Amino acid sequence: MKLARDLTCKELVELVTEYLEGGLTAAERERFEEHLGFCDWCVTYLDQMRQTLVAVGSLREDDVSPAMEASLLATFRGWKAR
Amino acid sequence: MIAYKLLEPGRVAPFSRVVWPEPGEWLEAESVDPCRSGIHACRALQLPPWLALGDLWEVELEDVVVDERKVVARRGRLVRRVDEWDPAAQRAFGVTCGDVTARRAERSPELQVFADDIATAPPAPVCGYMAARAAELQDGSAGYDAERRRQGEWLVEALRLVR
Amino acid sequence: MDAEIVEALRAGDEAAFAMLVAQYGASMLRVAQMYVRTRAVAEEVVQDAWLGVLRGIGSFEGRSSLKTWIFRILTNTAKTRGERESRSVPFSALEGVDDEAAVEPERFQSEGRWAGHWAAPPSPWTDIPENRLLSTETREVVARAIAALPPAQATVITMRDVEGFDSEDVCNVLGITETNQRVLLHRARSKVRRALEDYLGDH
Repeated sequence: MKLARDLTCKELVELVTEYLEGGLTAAERERFEEHLGFCDWCVTYLDQMRQTLVAVGSLREDDVSPAMEASLLATFRGWKAR
Repeated sequence: MIAYKLLEPGRVAPFSRVVWPEPGEWLEAESVDPCRSGIHACRALQLPPWLALGDLWEVELEDVVVDERKVVARRGRLVRRVDEWDPAAQRAFGVTCGDVTARRAERSPELQVFADDIATAPPAPVCGYMAARAAELQDGSAGYDAERRRQGEWLVEALRLVR
Repeated sequence: MDAEIVEALRAGDEAAFAMLVAQYGASMLRVAQMYVRTRAVAEEVVQDAWLGVLRGIGSFEGRSSLKTWIFRILTNTAKTRGERESRSVPFSALEGVDDEAAVEPERFQSEGRWAGHWAAPPSPWTDIPENRLLSTETREVVARAIAALPPAQATVITMRDVEGFDSEDVCNVLGITETNQRVLLHRARSKVRRALEDYLGDH
């Protein structure tokens, strides 16, 4: 049986995405979280990954340019008139 | 019952990311499914493996559903942050881990390097981990568990925690 | 909801079309840019994709969600255009050449009793105020890091973490398995974290 304390930091960083996606089994998640319990550095790493996601998400802008919007409407009207 | 919890600054639960309300205000779990949902905490003696996760808080729990290797309840409220778990206490914790490991090394010289590692004064949770690992090398899983239990007893005594 | 919009589109309802454009247009543009060289071409791709949506709306059966269907048309359009400009990388190539680790191996101890544990551990970013993390400069670092990724990784992280698609949508739109998607996402996120670490560490 693989013990939580056998999980190394090097292995943990490869599991971070799976963990955040909820893809680890219950046993794997327990090992992952127990490792975090004694390892501040991996806690930091996971936190950095979360902050990375915040930064990446901030790239999203939700508006199409007015010019693009106008030309799309023109496309629509052209299609409608066929 | 009284139990304990580690929270990141801002009272953020380390795994669920739930932000706990201010002390005194109750937090209710929508559902209780151990390891997935519900209010998770642990008894004082169970704390040592979790110390890296943040600040130590005392919590009051109601409707306890699980009480084995951890405690899971339907509702809980923070009582106070255990400020006695300060840098001085954490250093002292590390020192005891180094002492017991050095004593183990008298029996098994190959463990001296663990005592040396602890002597470099890494953070308390790391000291606890190293000491438990050394104990495991000497006496297997039973050694590991015994050392973690010793650490728990030390915390109860030094920080006057509720068992 | 889908059924109502589909009906409205079929009936030539301009408001329904405008709503879809408002909802998906910007995302479509960013995804299109994963496949083609310039923004101008990406805009043309988006135009063509919407035309494809309108032409196909009569035969849309609702077997997938409208969103998934629209984005599949988009990626197919973008791929075709990209191939013509020899810009796109077929997704069959996603079993990439790189076997790279999330963090360079040198940052871990390679031997001894703490083998596999941090040798050069990460430093907390907690001192970084939130507005710094989201500043224009930081966002540029992130955007550059994504642009430097292999195309398959760039597309997955853009769709998942910029555009907010869920993993099922991404797999359906790109025609890849959950496992493939996870691997690509993992590699992409690891590289972007590294880029941020380098940038934040120096400033």
